[in-house]
Parts: sequence; C-alpha cells; structure tokens
Amino acid sequence: MKRFILAFIGAYIFMFLWGWLLNGVLLKDVYAETPNLWRSQSEMMSLFHWIIIGQALIVFSFVMIYASGFAGGGVVAGIRLGILLEIAAIGMRLAIYAAEPFPGKLIFYGSVSGLIEMIIVGAIVGAIYKPVRTS
Amino acid sequence: MNWKKFFIAFIAAFVFLFVFGFIWYGNLMHGAHQEVTALFRPEAEFKEHFPWLILGEIVMAFFLTMLCARFVPAGGVGSGAMLGLLVALVYTGVHVIDFAVMPLTTKILFGWIVGAIIEYSVAGAIIGAIYKPGSRMTT
Repeated sequence: MKRFILAFIGAYIFMFLWGWLLNGVLLKDVYAETPNLWRSQSEMMSLFHWIIIGQALIVFSFVMIYASGFAGGGVVAGIRLGILLEIAAIGMRLAIYAAEPFPGKLIFYGSVSGLIEMIIVGAIVGAIYKPVRTS
Repeated sequence: MNWKKFFIAFIAAFVFLFVFGFIWYGNLMHGAHQEVTALFRPEAEFKEHFPWLILGEIVMAFFLTMLCARFVPAGGVGSGAMLGLLVALVYTGVHVIDFAVMPLTTKILFGWIVGAIIEYSVAGAIIGAIYKPGSRMTT
C-alpha cells in the first residue's frame, strides 16, 4: 500500500508538471488558433479542481492496472502498459477528431505528447511500485 | 499468444465498440451534443471525416484486446470486465479534464463518463469471454 501511494504521488507530480508545460506553455499558440473550442482563462481557473481530479483519476487507474496485472515487471512492464493504454487512447482521439472540429496538428501533438507522458508515467510507476512478497 | 482467438476477440470488440458508439454517442446523446454545436462538426463534415472514426475504433479495439491478452492471459468474463472498467476510469479522467478546459455541459460529461464505463467494461468482458491462451502449438 505504501508503494502504491508513493507510485501514485510520483506519477501524479510528473503528470501535473508535464500537463502545465505542454498545454500551458508549449502548445499555447496552437490552442489559441481555435478559441471557440476552449473555455476562457478565468473560466478554466474556476474549474481547475476538475483538472486535478481528472489527472488523479488517470494516475490512480494506471497504478491500479499496474498493481493488479503487471506487478513485479519493473520499469519495462510499466512502460509497456503506458504504451498500450496510450495507443488505445490515440484511437479514441482519432474517433473524437471525426466528430469534433479539432485541427489535425493538435491531434498529432496531443498523441505524440500523450505517448511520451504515458511512457514516463509507466516508468515512474514501474520503478516505484513493488508487489508485497508473500513467501 | 493465441492469435486466432486474439483476432476473433478483436473483431468482436470492434463490432461492439462501433455499434455501442453509434447508439450511445450518435443517438442517445445526440440532443445533448446539439446544445453545444460549436464543439461538434456539422453532419456533412462529420461524414467526410468518418474514416477517422473507423480507424480510431479499430485502433482502440486492437489495443484493448492486446491489453486484455497481456493483463488477463487466462481470459474470463469477470477479469476482462474489471480490466475494461479500469481502462474506462483512465479515459474518464481525460473526459473530466476536457470538461474543465472545453465548454461542455455537465450532461455531456455525465453521458461520456457513463458511456465509457459501459463501453469498456462490456468490451473487456467480450474479449475475456473469447480470448483464451493457446497451447504451445498456437503461440
């Protein structure tokens, strides 16, 4: 349980910082090209707790999956899980692209950055979480 | 890996994801989506982009099947559904973040969350029911 919590906190801190760097800094100009698709800055700030909850949910579920199926596999197993989950998410992103008017480059950047993000999250979780020895 | 069972499970998952998506997101949630027309493509534009939806569903079904085959190598409906539920929770987190940054209504957020939970849990159960590890001859 202690390792589970540590893995959750480690991965969460990374995801929070990565999300800020990517969406708040690097892709800021790309988002600005489609203002109709986004809430205003002040509105986003008033709903910021939803971002915290959403990221926590992603990381918690990730660690849960890892802990119940990939435990003991270490960094490589964590990275493998991150890749599988993110490629499935890229599929979801493509389906969303068909229905919502996102620019193609935003889908591309989101997919590449999502892959990097989940690989690192997987590596962090795999490095920290260790199963309890039963023997 | 039992590739024959994997392929059958993948096809079944794809068919389910496609049919469920059509019913849930395309029909039952159509009214809710119409409340924020700026966030969705017009009908004609959506039809033009339809191949992306098919490709997306194929990718999702394939990697969900891959995940189940690795995570639940012994197969089984219950284990598959549990994995599907956990995967749904990952994507639910994404929807919650979307709600914070996009002008979605709470009705849409709720619909997407419930939809994801049903969609991936059932898809996981289908894959778990079909996929069984092969003998040495089939790996």
